[in-house]
Amino acid sequence: MPAQGVRAYSLVHATVRALYSTMLTRATWDALLQAQDLDAVLGLLSKTVYGPYLQIERRLLTPRRVAYQIRWHLAEVYEKLIRLTPEPGRQLLRQLWRHYEVDNLKATLRGVETGATWDQVLHLLYPMEKYILLTASDMARMVQSGDMARAVEHTRHTPYYDTLVHALERYRTEKSLFPLEVALDLHYRRRLWQSIYQLEGRDLEQALRTVGIALDVDNLLWAIRYRIYHHLSEQEIINYTLPQGYEVQDEHIRAIAAGADIAEVVRRIYPKLETVGEISERSHAGLAQLELFLNRYFLKVCRSTFIGYPFHIGIPTAYVWLNEHEIRDLTVLVEAKASHSPIETFGSLLEMQSLSSRVDQR
Amino acid sequence: MFRSQAMSKVELIVPEHDVVAVTEALAALDVFHLVKSEYIGAEGATRQANEWRERANTFTALEQRILIVMRALDVDEGTPPFDELHLIGPTVAQRDVEHLEQESLAPVQELEEAQHKLVQLQRYLGQLRPIADLDVDLEALRSMRYLFVSLGTIPVANMERLRSSLELVPFVLVTLQREEHLATVLLFGMQRDADILNRAARSAYLNPLTPPDRYPGTPTDAIEALQASIARTRQQIATSQTTIKRLHASRVKRLRHLLWRVRASRTLVETIAGYGRLHYTYLIAGWVPDCQIPALRSKIEQVADQVMVEVTIPRREDEEHIPVVLDNPYLFRSFEGLVTNYGYPRYGELDPTPVMALTFPLVFGLMFGDVGHGLLLTLLGLLVLSRKVRALRGLASMGGVVVACGLMAMVFGLLYGSIFGFETVLEPLWIRPLEEITDVLLVAVGVGVVVLSLGMVYNIINAALVRHWGHLLFDHNGLAGLMFYWSMLGLGAVTLGISLPFSSALLFLLVVVSGLAVTFAELLEHLVERHRPLIQDGFGTYFMQAFFELFETVIGLLSNTLSYVRMGAFAVAHGAISMVVFILADIVSPTQGVGYWIVVVLGNLFVMGFEGMIVGIQTLRLEYYELFSKFFSGGGERYRPLELIPKDKCE
Repeated sequence: MPAQGVRAYSLVHATVRALYSTMLTRATWDALLQAQDLDAVLGLLSKTVYGPYLQIERRLLTPRRVAYQIRWHLAEVYEKLIRLTPEPGRQLLRQLWRHYEVDNLKATLRGVETGATWDQVLHLLYPMEKYILLTASDMARMVQSGDMARAVEHTRHTPYYDTLVHALERYRTEKSLFPLEVALDLHYRRRLWQSIYQLEGRDLEQALRTVGIALDVDNLLWAIRYRIYHHLSEQEIINYTLPQGYEVQDEHIRAIAAGADIAEVVRRIYPKLETVGEISERSHAGLAQLELFLNRYFLKVCRSTFIGYPFHIGIPTAYVWLNEHEIRDLTVLVEAKASHSPIETFGSLLEMQSLSSRVDQR
Repeated sequence: MFRSQAMSKVELIVPEHDVVAVTEALAALDVFHLVKSEYIGAEGATRQANEWRERANTFTALEQRILIVMRALDVDEGTPPFDELHLIGPTVAQRDVEHLEQESLAPVQELEEAQHKLVQLQRYLGQLRPIADLDVDLEALRSMRYLFVSLGTIPVANMERLRSSLELVPFVLVTLQREEHLATVLLFGMQRDADILNRAARSAYLNPLTPPDRYPGTPTDAIEALQASIARTRQQIATSQTTIKRLHASRVKRLRHLLWRVRASRTLVETIAGYGRLHYTYLIAGWVPDCQIPALRSKIEQVADQVMVEVTIPRREDEEHIPVVLDNPYLFRSFEGLVTNYGYPRYGELDPTPVMALTFPLVFGLMFGDVGHGLLLTLLGLLVLSRKVRALRGLASMGGVVVACGLMAMVFGLLYGSIFGFETVLEPLWIRPLEEITDVLLVAVGVGVVVLSLGMVYNIINAALVRHWGHLLFDHNGLAGLMFYWSMLGLGAVTLGISLPFSSALLFLLVVVSGLAVTFAELLEHLVERHRPLIQDGFGTYFMQAFFELFETVIGLLSNTLSYVRMGAFAVAHGAISMVVFILADIVSPTQGVGYWIVVVLGNLFVMGFEGMIVGIQTLRLEYYELFSKFFSGGGERYRPLELIPKDKCE
């Protein structure tokens, strides 16, 4: 009912609009692209919404640390929006936020596997303080434990524990993090789908558009990668992917798993995608292009959410995705500027539409 | 009031032997916003820093160990003690923790091992029960010649996917037992498909089960042996639990106190590790509100007599990093939350709270003028402020905003002659919005013009405060922008036949001059502030950009101003919705019986809740987008005084 939507999302909408206006403008992106080096990038970023997070000693601001610092903004955005969004939309936002927790957990497990120190792991993570199940000190203890089984014990109070403990059997026999990471990914995304289907009406419709498409992209890319990089069997690909989807249906995943022409399947899902290079076990050329296309398509959908009736969960979810992609692009840019790479080498990796159109023009 | 509290940079040179006492004093005082200065230091001082960091690591490890003991004994953290927490020696803390571990962890470990064993035994039992009637040796089942058999556990969520992945080969998946997340299953297939079945089972996380060799024979034999083991293990668990309960009761206070003291000590040494270091002294730097400097000096003198305190007034280039303490009268403080939700003002910049405190209730009242609804809002605000209702305590900081909005709604209610939607009971002191719609809309635009101009004036003052003269003079929200806005308004008024004390020629001239200034703002700003080159991308591109910027400025000013029409529209809508309520009430009970009044009451509640909320959001929108965007970008640093235990942990 529209009145309910207005009541529930009016403050969220006002806040998102305010946050939206703080996203980097095209002029700022242009200036960032033209920046001579990392110092110039930091100078420009200091005048943006990321400025306050970068106010630490300059010598500490390595590209990795810059990426870590600017992610604080995303954390604050999530905290603000989760606080303001009413149930059951809040549940979906919390679940989306946990996406970074799962990423952090995977990074921590990698740290345990490689015997890294906590200092080495810390700045690879997403900073998260609120609405989390696994705290930084839990992860520090995991890294300090130095043993996978003991590390997993530190997740006992989280819903990841059962999944990890079960997958640990395979880790022990295969000596690879692959089963742990895949199990976590599947567990997390199943829960995310559950959170989406807790919603009703317009909220459900919008959550499917914003979150559903993102999950589709992951599922599709997993299936393709499992086939062409990992050379997994049809049954393994099916078991390592999800049956749910918004535009990407189970039949598409099964077709890829069964060895169908990947480009053909992709065109069936996204008819507007005119050209997809060959993607097969022999040639991976089209995969990067496809990934970029899917991400840009997704960002376009997120942007389009801001047109039309605004009182629904799509507004905060679309905004957090846009913000995440802005940070991802900034991370690429910071790395590139720190290594003095010319624009041609990294411009095409940037996903945000406004930026990419500028890059293309050049 | 219009600016945040004046801050001073305080630098303390502290002898090594006083550094702990001084840090404790600073934390107790709760006014010192620490600035990390570890980069300042003599070459040889790295050793000291490392020592403090090592101590911090020791405390972190001790804290984890205490928490493990607490978890084991089921003791929660409690709240920090009221008395000041002082540094505890790592050796003393370590001895305490070791003692607690020795007496607590052994029974806990025994309990855990017994529980783990019990779970394993029960799991084996659970696996065997569904096949209890099978009169076959389990080992024989595992070594079938033509059949593929896999007995194991699988996450319930993966079962359906496993089934669907095996559509192309013959198989049978039998669920022997199903718990919440995990199921025990038997997967049968043909031995020739073993590779496919194995890959599918593994990728579905079907972990093969291997009951221990010490329970051989048929399932029935194994079950009997397992049940005997389970009974023995249960007895062992009961004994351990009694011991742990006794320990819980006797150690709860000691554990909590030790935990908070170790935590405070960790924060303390981490803080010290961040100080600047010379050979025998430490440099502590931070920001303190000017009014707190005497208290700071006196506290430091109490704890150490050889500390050099140097207070400096901040330099202009420091202002970006100075934390901001908003300094508003009590009545305005509720509005600080609305401002900081948008962003913290930078130090030296004007604090938008006063303008927010004045315009927010005004704009709200104009849209929601009703004596009755205003009164109820005021009462609600007072209730929130009183913190008497537990469910509303979280909103206490917003109580003042609700009261102010309620009072202003009452004032406008008197001006509109509206009380609980009754438009004929009170004589309006000004106008009835429903009857004089044009006037209300014009007044709304007028208020908008004033508010927007106020935003521009704020921007001009901010530019003057930071001596950004080019911005002050030529920015589209600066002096040129303000002149452009007002001369455009004047020209519009003259065109509509309103007489003004200025000739239209003069107004036209002003529009042209200020318009040109706004159009070429970037060039003029560079000229005034001596930035070179004046134009960056060539004249052609520059003129094109300048033209579009002027176009954007005109459209922006127009849309910002017209945005305020909504205030008038809401004032009219308020009356119209109330009218609908009375029409509905008349339909329900034309004789004005009980039904009539029920509809009136429910209708009023609806108007208050639904419209009140929308008006609140619209007000926020007008403040954030139309007003704040003129002069306020946030980006200031929040004031976070040094504390050993975060305040939100204290009750």
